[in-house]
Amino acid sequence: MAQANSSKKGPVTATTPGHRVASSMTPDNNRHSGEQTDSQTDLQLVRKIRNGDRAAFDLLVVKYQSRVASIISRYVYDPQEVMDLTQDTFVKAYRAIERFRGDSAFYTWLYRIAVNTAKNYLEARGRRPQGSADAADAENFDDGGRLRDVASPEKLLQREQLQKALNTAIAGLPEELRSAFLLREYDGLSYEDIARILECPIGTVRSRIFRARDAVDRHLGPLLNHSST
Amino acid sequence: MDERLRETLSAMMDDEADELSVRRLLSHGDQEDVRGQWQRWQQIRDLMHENHGPVAGADVASRVRAQLDGREVPSVPAAVSPTSRRWHWPVAAMVALALVIGFGAGTGWQGGEPAAGAEGLAAGSSEPAPAQVLPSAIQEVTLQGLDEEQRRQMRQYMLEHAQHNSVGAGRGSVGYARMVSANSGY
Repeated sequence: MAQANSSKKGPVTATTPGHRVASSMTPDNNRHSGEQTDSQTDLQLVRKIRNGDRAAFDLLVVKYQSRVASIISRYVYDPQEVMDLTQDTFVKAYRAIERFRGDSAFYTWLYRIAVNTAKNYLEARGRRPQGSADAADAENFDDGGRLRDVASPEKLLQREQLQKALNTAIAGLPEELRSAFLLREYDGLSYEDIARILECPIGTVRSRIFRARDAVDRHLGPLLNHSST
Repeated sequence: MDERLRETLSAMMDDEADELSVRRLLSHGDQEDVRGQWQRWQQIRDLMHENHGPVAGADVASRVRAQLDGREVPSVPAAVSPTSRRWHWPVAAMVALALVIGFGAGTGWQGGEPAAGAEGLAAGSSEPAPAQVLPSAIQEVTLQGLDEEQRRQMRQYMLEHAQHNSVGAGRGSVGYARMVSANSGY
């Protein structure tokens, strides 16, 4: 795979499934590089929500539910409580969406609601918040899922199976699809940068990433459904 | 959802979809389909970034919608699967059984009044008198239907059993405890 200098992210290092090569990027940049915190899509969705589009809010919930749950699991350890507080966070966010001015990224705003929801919950029960996350940490917070893992052994096994299947699926992708997909997911490059690196039109990059995603989804399909039980 | 819309959704994942495409996607008739596809791709992303956390795959959006609409929230626990629940009763039963056996053994060790030939076993013991330790219900069951001759035979048998077990260095301690208890008249 070609290497190039990205104007946004600095030097890029080639990645292959199961063999992620450490690049010059910091862990923070590497974390969820597929999702930019100042997401334009988020703002588009927020505008839709303000116009009463519930479907748009559903997409934001799905997009951020894992990360919100990870933040909350720094404060509460019971999986049911984590689920309830995650839900409460999104309900509060929906009700307060008019107050989101867009000064910060939507995720930063959501992060603050999650932290405050968890803290208030503990204080209401006379439990002193033990978590280390603070609303001010929103931009730097990463890897909540690894920081506090409340998964059962069964879930851990499931996750391991999923991880293996994911690696197999990615390894089985045609080279041109895999390159575009990994440059996007692991290196966080824009379609424009990827197009420059792979020397192809942006439309082709978009199509390749979609096809890669679709192939991985088809490979993991039954496992993903099983994990949601 | 056709290929074009799915490609738009994929571009949305990467923050590369334009406003018009997003609008078209959100006005698609089958939003369940859109949300399902979006959720699977988000799960794949979470997996790739090792963030397959506590609510991965859970339908939080439905719960949020239900709460916003004032409907009853589906009460499916986030991390308890039907498979794991299946094991709760057998495990509880096994623990209860182990407790009953253990309790029986413990009672036997402490509760027996030394018989004539087994006095040495309890010599110097500061344990309370057996009658204070054991409930009377156990007394009734143990002594039920035994005449004097049977009691004598039982004592003899228990004495031999106790001697045999004391050589066993801890093996068969439950039987030993029970026999001491029965030998002492309980």
